[in-house]
Amino acid sequence: MSGVSGTSIPEAGIRFLRSVRAAVESGVDPIVAVEAASADLPKSLRDGIDRMARRLRGDYYEDEWGFDEEFAEGAYPFFELLYDHWWRVETTGVEHVPAHGRAMLVSNHAGSLFPFDASMITGAIMKRHPLPRWPRFMVLNWAFSLPYLSAFMRKVGGVPASPHNATRILEDDGLMMVFPEGVKGTGKPFSERYRLQRFGRGGFVEIALQTGSPIVPIAVVGSEEIYPMLGDSRALAKLIGAPFAPITPTFPWLGPLGLIPLPSKWRIEFCEPIDVSGLGPEAADDRRIVFEISEQVRETIQAKLLENLVKRGSAFV
Amino acid sequence: MSGGRRILIAGIGNMWGTMLARRLARDPRVEQVIGIDTTLPDVDLERTELLEADIRSPVMARLVPATEADTLVHTGILWYPEEGKPARALHDINVIGTLQLLAAAERSPTIERVILRGSAAIYGCEPAGPSFFTEEMARSFPLRTRFQRDVGELEGYFENFARRHPRLTCCMLRYQPEIGAGLQVPLSRYLSLPVVPVQLGFDPRLQLVHADDATEALVEATMNPVRGAVNIAPSGSISLSRALRVIGATELPIPHPLFGPALARLGRSLGTGALYGDAVRLLRYGRGVDNRRMREDLGFTPRFDAAAAIEDFARHSTSRRLAPLPGVAGILEGLGRMR
Repeated sequence: MSGVSGTSIPEAGIRFLRSVRAAVESGVDPIVAVEAASADLPKSLRDGIDRMARRLRGDYYEDEWGFDEEFAEGAYPFFELLYDHWWRVETTGVEHVPAHGRAMLVSNHAGSLFPFDASMITGAIMKRHPLPRWPRFMVLNWAFSLPYLSAFMRKVGGVPASPHNATRILEDDGLMMVFPEGVKGTGKPFSERYRLQRFGRGGFVEIALQTGSPIVPIAVVGSEEIYPMLGDSRALAKLIGAPFAPITPTFPWLGPLGLIPLPSKWRIEFCEPIDVSGLGPEAADDRRIVFEISEQVRETIQAKLLENLVKRGSAFV
Repeated sequence: MSGGRRILIAGIGNMWGTMLARRLARDPRVEQVIGIDTTLPDVDLERTELLEADIRSPVMARLVPATEADTLVHTGILWYPEEGKPARALHDINVIGTLQLLAAAERSPTIERVILRGSAAIYGCEPAGPSFFTEEMARSFPLRTRFQRDVGELEGYFENFARRHPRLTCCMLRYQPEIGAGLQVPLSRYLSLPVVPVQLGFDPRLQLVHADDATEALVEATMNPVRGAVNIAPSGSISLSRALRVIGATELPIPHPLFGPALARLGRSLGTGALYGDAVRLLRYGRGVDNRRMREDLGFTPRFDAAAAIEDFARHSTSRRLAPLPGVAGILEGLGRMR
């Protein structure tokens, strides 16, 4: 085996292709030729090829939810690019996410066309947390009836927004990310940005109480400007069965180009966890307690949103 | 051997009934096995008596008490048409047959336990559903297919029956679809195709019960039934795309609105048989069920988890395969071996 140090990847690639061609032309079996030529490739390239071959054999792990960590890692650089360069996310308080055991992450929800907040919160945890682990996030049920999106969401940690799913993930000591505003958050007009909507019926609090999970409120600033929703086409929404059909300054006017999110500046603040385990699972049946905690979380996030809006200053530069 | 169980198997003619009879014939806890079906299996088993009868006929009301059985296992609920059992007869066999059988059990003073081998299809295949249905979550979605409605109806009768006879232990087994090399069921045949049609952009989560586990779970439930419904499923889940890679089949993506019709047409010529209507939804949205009740209450731990069941299927499958193409997969595999 000849050394490869000092040669660049393109050079090695060209040499690789040349030697494959030479071997095939002299009558060697293509697979053998590739095998022989690949010995000269740099280790990083051989590793990548090795991983791809392994995945093509189905030799990889998926957990019971269909989360595929290797796939998520593969998609990660794209989101990292958005995180670092497109949205220049500044993250504070990530240490409030417990390193072990269950926790419910509760965030505001925005980004009409495609809410990126779950992926950026995930990015913040994976990049900034001292002991990073992949959170799971609830996805609008509608997305799971769509081709491609359903498969992609599942592989990177999305689960259908069913309370049973949240309970099971927390019982297994996972991180469960929820967006209690749901569609009301993502489908609100641009003029109402950063105004938190109703937090459902407080179902997330019931689950946190039942499973004794601390609640970590998260305020995300920047997500509202990525696809400013100027209007909502009821007719289109009805036609495709979507909960709403946003019209933004670029969508649908520019076609697929309109799907490129605007480069707003983001801030993500993880707030101090609210420990509800002392109240016991019975408290989940007490409407008053549930409502109070729900309001407490909502007010915390709303206050932090305003605070971070001021800290951020201008939305885009 | 006195004091052993006297077990009546309704539907002994199909593979699950036959496999159960085979296992029970070797079991020292069993005194006698009596099998009833319209077509009897060609087996000669110790301590096993075979009776040719149709569970839908009124004869059952005299036949069942006469067997003096203490355990009744119904394995004759059919998921898809078989030879001699066309699609339009399924409702009759599944619903009316079960109803007659329960009526006969009612008249039999010796019966103590009734076990039905049912289906997890009652939960449906729902994109918005919980990723793991527990036993209480039946009927949380509308019953969409004919088979689902049949299962819903017969479960309703069975629950009613159990309520009226608190003395009896009534156990409903909700099976996820089975898989096994050489198993003559549509889903196994589908996965044995060299080129497998899939629905473009969909990658469902599946839980397929290994055929050995399917039989062992039935033995366990027959010998020690619990009251109420129990999901029979492997732990974990596997995506269809990964399953096909493990098996070594090539995917043929078809836009999902065309998948059902295409498969109905292709199925006959490819020898997969018609995939039952539920399978189209199963292969789009998938279905997972929770198996805690099976492991903890029934006390049965499957030998294969969802991925292992597929791996075992791939190992033992002798299906037609395309010759290994010198394609990307082969080349990359060769490269992988280099290190």
